[in-house]
Formats: sequence, C-alpha cells, structure tokens
Amino acid sequence: MSTLAAFRWIGRGLLFALIGLAVGAAVALALTGLTGRPPAEPVIALGYTGALLGWLLGVGLWDVWAREWLGLSTRSLGAEGWQRYFRFNTDHKVVGVQYLVTFVVILLLAGLLAVLLRIELMSPGQELLQPRDFNTTMSLHGIMMVAVAVATIIGGFANFALPLLIGAEDVAFPRVNAFSYWIIPPVAVLLLLTPFFGGFDTGWTGYPPLSVGPVPQGTLLFLLAFLTFGLSSILGGMNFLVTIAKLRAPGMTWGRLPIFVWSVFAAAIISLTATQFVAAGLLMVILDRVVGTAFFDAARGGDALLFEHVFWFYSHPAVYIMILPAFGIELEILSHFSRKPLFGYKLVVGSFFAIVALSFLVWAHHLYTSGMQDFLHIPFMITTELISIPTGVVFLAALGTIWRGRLWLTTPMLFVLAVVFNFLIGGLTGIFLADVPTDIHLQDTYFVVAHFHYTIVGGEVFAIFAGIYYWFPKITGRMYNENLGKLHFWWMFLLYNATFLPMFWTGVWGMNRRVADYTPNLATLNQVISILSFGLAASFLVFVYNMVVSWARGAAAAASPWRARTLEWQTSSPPPLENFPAPPQVVGYPYDYGTPGAVHAIVPVAGGSADAGTKETSHG
Amino acid sequence: MNRDRVIVFFLWFVLWALGEFLIIGTNLFRYPVAAAEEATIVDSAFRFLTVLAVPVPAFVLSVLVYSVLRFRSSGPDQDGPPVHINRSWAVFWLAWTTGLTLFVMVFPGVTGVLEIRHHASKPVDLLVQAQGIRYAWVLTYPELGGFSTQELVVPVGKHVRFEVTANDVLHSFWIPAFRIKIDAVPGMTTTVSATPTLTGSFAEDPQFRLQCAELCGLDHNKMRLPVRVVSEPDFAAWVAAQPTRPARTP
Repeated sequence: MSTLAAFRWIGRGLLFALIGLAVGAAVALALTGLTGRPPAEPVIALGYTGALLGWLLGVGLWDVWAREWLGLSTRSLGAEGWQRYFRFNTDHKVVGVQYLVTFVVILLLAGLLAVLLRIELMSPGQELLQPRDFNTTMSLHGIMMVAVAVATIIGGFANFALPLLIGAEDVAFPRVNAFSYWIIPPVAVLLLLTPFFGGFDTGWTGYPPLSVGPVPQGTLLFLLAFLTFGLSSILGGMNFLVTIAKLRAPGMTWGRLPIFVWSVFAAAIISLTATQFVAAGLLMVILDRVVGTAFFDAARGGDALLFEHVFWFYSHPAVYIMILPAFGIELEILSHFSRKPLFGYKLVVGSFFAIVALSFLVWAHHLYTSGMQDFLHIPFMITTELISIPTGVVFLAALGTIWRGRLWLTTPMLFVLAVVFNFLIGGLTGIFLADVPTDIHLQDTYFVVAHFHYTIVGGEVFAIFAGIYYWFPKITGRMYNENLGKLHFWWMFLLYNATFLPMFWTGVWGMNRRVADYTPNLATLNQVISILSFGLAASFLVFVYNMVVSWARGAAAAASPWRARTLEWQTSSPPPLENFPAPPQVVGYPYDYGTPGAVHAIVPVAGGSADAGTKETSHG
Repeated sequence: MNRDRVIVFFLWFVLWALGEFLIIGTNLFRYPVAAAEEATIVDSAFRFLTVLAVPVPAFVLSVLVYSVLRFRSSGPDQDGPPVHINRSWAVFWLAWTTGLTLFVMVFPGVTGVLEIRHHASKPVDLLVQAQGIRYAWVLTYPELGGFSTQELVVPVGKHVRFEVTANDVLHSFWIPAFRIKIDAVPGMTTTVSATPTLTGSFAEDPQFRLQCAELCGLDHNKMRLPVRVVSEPDFAAWVAAQPTRPARTP
C-alpha cells in the first residue's frame, strides 16, 4: 500500500490537470464561439495552460507553496525514503536526482529515435519510415536532445552538487527549484503526444512560416513544450545566480570557488537572459497560429527572417549553457584525478566570462545563407572566430593540469580526457562553419551535423557521463562497478568517433541535413555509419546495467572515495538533509594538491571537526 | 626533467607531418567536382584551413597521449607538483591562439568574402529566376522568352545570376557542384551567382543538382532538380527547343 501511496501526489496532479484541461478548453470554445474562429488550436493552447496549472497545484505546489498566498499554513509532503523522489520536494539533492534520472531516460529515448533514423538512412530512398514519421522522429530526436543538453548538468549536477560545493544548505529558492523540475513532465508528455496529433516536421528550430502552418497540430504541442521548457530554464538560471552570490559558506570567497561553480554561474547568466528571447519568439509563433497575428507572414506585413534572428539570439548562447558547465566538470575532474592544482584558474574564469559576452554577439553566423544583408557577414565571422581564443584557454588549462600530474585513470577521468579530444575536433571544425566562404557550401549539410554532435555529444554528453560516474558514490552512497565503467567508456568512445567522424565527409560530399533520402554516391558511407551507430547505441546497455545494479547492490561508498578536496566529499555519502551539521569554514583554495598542510575548509562533523584536504600526501 | 618536453615536441612534429601528408599526399581529403569559379574559392579556403589547422590537434594529442602513458598512477596517494600556472606558457598560448585566429579571419575569411563579392559584381550574362514551391523548383529564363523548366541548364563560362523567391515557406537554393547556396524567403528576393567552368550533368555526377537545403516539410528531400552545364552552342540549341511562352494580351 505504501508503494501506491507514494504516487498519491502524482495521481492528484493528473486529476487536477484533467480539470484544468476541461476549464481551459471550455474557455477556448466560448471565445472561439464568439469570434467565429476555428476552435482546434485555441482549445489545445488554453487547455494545455489549464492542465499545466492544474498539474502543478495538484502535484504539490498547493500544499508546499500556494496555500501561503491565501494566508494558510504550508505543509511538507514528506522527505523520507525513495518516495521523496516522486513528490514536490524542495531538497536540492532530491531535485538534482529527479532531473538526472528524468534526463538520462530522455537521453536514452532520444537515442533510440536516432537508431530509427539511422535504420532509415542505411540506404538511399525512403523505405522504413513515411515522410511524416521521418520528420517527426528527426524533430523529436532534436528537441529531446537539446533539452537533455540544456538541463542535465544545470538541472542535475548543479542542483545536486553545487550547494554542497559552496557549503550551502540548499539553493536560494528551493520552492522555485522544485517548480522548475515539476514543469518538465508536461513537456515530455507534450512531445511524446506529438505523433498522435499529426507529428511535427519543422525540426527543433521551428522556423516559420513552416511552423505557423498549415501543418499538423503536433507543431503547436511542440511549440508549447519548448516554451514551457524555456520557463524552467529561466527560473533555474536565476536560482543558481542568487545561490552562488548569496549562499556561499563563510570564507568561500569568489577566488576560492571550485571551477564547476564558476562555469554554472557563467551558464546561468545566459540561461536567465537569452532564454527570454526564444520564449518571446516562440510565443509570437504560437500567436500567429492560435489567434491569427502575422508576425512572420510576409503576405500580411510580417517578416520570416525575423524569427531566425530571435531564435539564434538565444540558441547560439544556449550552446554555451550546454558546454560551459561541461568545461567546469572537465576541469574539476582533471584537477582532482591528476592530483595537481587547476592550471591557470583565474585565466579560465576570465575566459568563461569572455565566452559569455561573445556568445551574445555571434548568432548571425547561422544566417550566412539566409538572405540577410551581406554587410553582416564579416562582423559576425570576426566575433565568431574570436571565441576560439577563450576556448583555447580551456585547452591550455586542461593540458597544463595533466602535465606531470599523477593521473588516476578511473572512469570519470577517462571520460573527461575524451572530452578534451572530442571537443578539439568539434572546435576546429567550427572554424570551417564560422568562415563565410566554406560555410556557404557546408551550411545545412552533415558537416554541421557532425560538428555539433562533436561539440555537444563529444564535449558535453561525455562530460555528463564523467559527472555521473564521479558523483555516483556521493548521490547513491554506493560504488559503481569500475570495470563495467571502463568497458562503457572504451566502447562508447571508439564507436562514437567511428560513427560521427565520417559524417564530415558525407557533408562535404553533398549530403544535406534532415533528409531520409540521398544521392546514391553516399550509400556506402551511410551504411557504414548506420552499422557503427547501432554498436554505439548498444554501449548504453552496459551503462544502464552498471547504474541499476550498482545503485541497488553496489559496495557502500566512503565519504570521499576519490580523496578529492572539494566540499561535497567532506560530508557523508549520501549527504544528510541540509548537507553539513553546521556551515563549513572555508580557509583556502580547493585545488592545493602537492602543498603539504594546505586546507580548503574546516568542516564540522558530529562530535568534532575535520579538516578538508589535509590528508597527508607524499609528494613525488 | 626536460626529456618529457623533448619527446612531446618530437611527437608533435611527427603527428603534424603525418596529418599534412594525409591532406596533401593522399586522396582522403578529396573534394567533390568543382564546376564553377565560386567552387574553387570555397575549396581553396577549405584546403587552406585544413592544412593550417593540423598542428593544433597534433599538439593537443601529443600532450594528451604522452601524459596518459607517462604520468599515470594507480590511486590518489601521490600528488603532482603544486604548479598553479606557468606565465610564459600562458602568454605563449594566448599569443599563438590569438595570432592564428586573427590570421584566419583575414585569410581566407575576409579575403574569401571579398573575392566572392567581386565575382558576383561582374556583368551578368544570364538571369535565371528560381521559385521554391513545396516541393519543387520553378525555373524561369526571363530574358530568353520567359519559358519555365524543370531542369536547370546553364552555359559553361558564362556568369549566371539566380534570383530566388518562395511564396510558401523557407527553402534553400543549393548547387553542390557550384558550392553556392542561398535561402528562398517568402516576401523577398535573394540572389546568388556562379560562373560554371566545367560541363556536366546530374546523370554523370549527383553534385550537379539543385537541392533544397532548408527543411520545408514532408517531402523536403524530394525537392531537387537536375543541373546540366553545357557548351554555348548546346545551350543555344536547348533554348531554341523550349516552347515560347504564350503571348499575353494586355
């Protein structure tokens, strides 16, 4: 019975969602009845809005938060046992695990969609999937993976680890934090429903006029999902900025912040500000569809090109929401597992902010062939190529840190070393796309597909796996199987590169993106890519098996299995509610490996105190 | 102590040389047929960037692989040296990354853009209008009687300007063999031009095709037309064989 009771709040959320749906739909029907417009799209838009509100209130927002607005006292839904993961819970560690598990599942689902695409692409011609199904599969793969890339590190790792890393009890706005997680399930539901509403064939970019119609209502579901997800991202960004600014433990000065915290701070600035632009753009497309405005309809005075500018004004900075925290994880793990201070800490922090600033000035490199004014080409080429300088600093830091270190090649270390290699290829091929002459040919080809899979999968997703293995003992209190971890790494690393490297060639040789059919000269290479991609997909079975079995039955983890110096390792695995018995006193830099007697923080423990990072180490 | 550095530099030069050999000395980095002056600009920029880039991955790989082999340890018991930064290395690194970045901005970046613009500004010998409609291209030759075709035929050695429009959704006008691409945008006319240098046809080489490169809906991938580059006499004969547009009465 207690198993059933655990889902009580989710059940109430679903019930309230149905009520909200009915109310919203009724309002829409009444309004369209008055105005004489077709009711279908307003019913979906307002019905969804009602359902979203109902879901949130039902799942726990009412008890934990909204009662207070009416002068009633709030109540916690309970924070014990595994059941807490299925509730509106404000503990940052619970929210972090909720995000992580949700987005790993979405990653695996979207990976399966990619397998479907690769089956279709085994040979030229359209065989397995109907055109509509191919476009829907491709579009769903895109938007689901973009969501994974945006939310897994900031929603998952930053939530779980960041308050621990800065010695805080929780994030600044715990209820906003829970809110930003619980609006994610409706996003997933909307996306998974799109095939039943005619699918959507716009890709994740959703360019109008195609996204305005006349195309299936699945497109509206996609737009609403994207907009909702954007709200989550904005709130998350705000929460981490305030958390880092206001909740650092005594002595945790800005100069002592672990590099992962800096990377999240930089990404959160983009998340809070740039996301609002894409939200506005999506809202305008939704208004064009639902209420008949004409923001993007050239025949009625609108401008189709406008959306591309607004979209990329968010979506290019968004790739730095993805990759900056991945750089943070990369450098964090490289320092701890090289047992050496992070090379050029201040230079790296400076380069993170240079990347943030430049990220807002490069969007139109997506538009070289869009028909925008020619005189914009050179300025955007210059700003785009300037980003290689601060990005180069991250490579300097990575190489400087491992040089003459004591490299302990555990699974997380292997994954971040692979990040250095993969992102190198991703970064260098980016220059061919920043350069106007070469981009004219390469734009919208598989060269672009290969490039962003190298930066986002090879860079960020590898960092996500590094983070999962690195923090697994802290999150679960158990150790994963190291041999299986290494098997997963080598399997994934080799097949990932074998799968995506040839795509640069198919792109140069004239294969355009987002097509089920291609010219026969590309058949052999595509067949090889498809077969390799199935092998890549299989590598995740090893990962899932290792995670499930280790979480259930793995050996108990020590508080600090890696003997890393940062604060999350100076409390139990998993940490207690509110993390530390009393606030830690930070007295030094987090990366003082090789300096005998250096202390990062004094952490109170039950019945005494312990110094973090003072373990005597021989220096040889 | 300095042995590590010497070996890494040696590795670097070996990998660098190997990379350049793969690009220049083998067929691995072959490009599809370049059938227009514009294609030559794009390919030479591509080749130049590839050749220039090689030392970068060669260096990073050398340090990475050597460090993993040479500096590995079996646990967290020993620490490395407490080096926080090496100023001269940092300055050196910033200097060469900045230098290389500024260099590629100018060449082949700005110079390539100017070269393409210079080509586009040459006198136009032939005008072709291309309208993207889901899921087809309608090609019209307005100066040759205004006939429309479903195959793009252009004469070799002539500067052809394409005026591209769309009246439903975004499309993109891409001819891989010419390395030219421009979006078709509802509400505006975009232009792109090319001077074909080689005769050829889709039947001989699939790069001779007009492909829609911007996702435009269900049958986006079917939106392609054959392209044929022919000699001047052949072009004249082809034009003569086209039906003239019925005369419009005012």
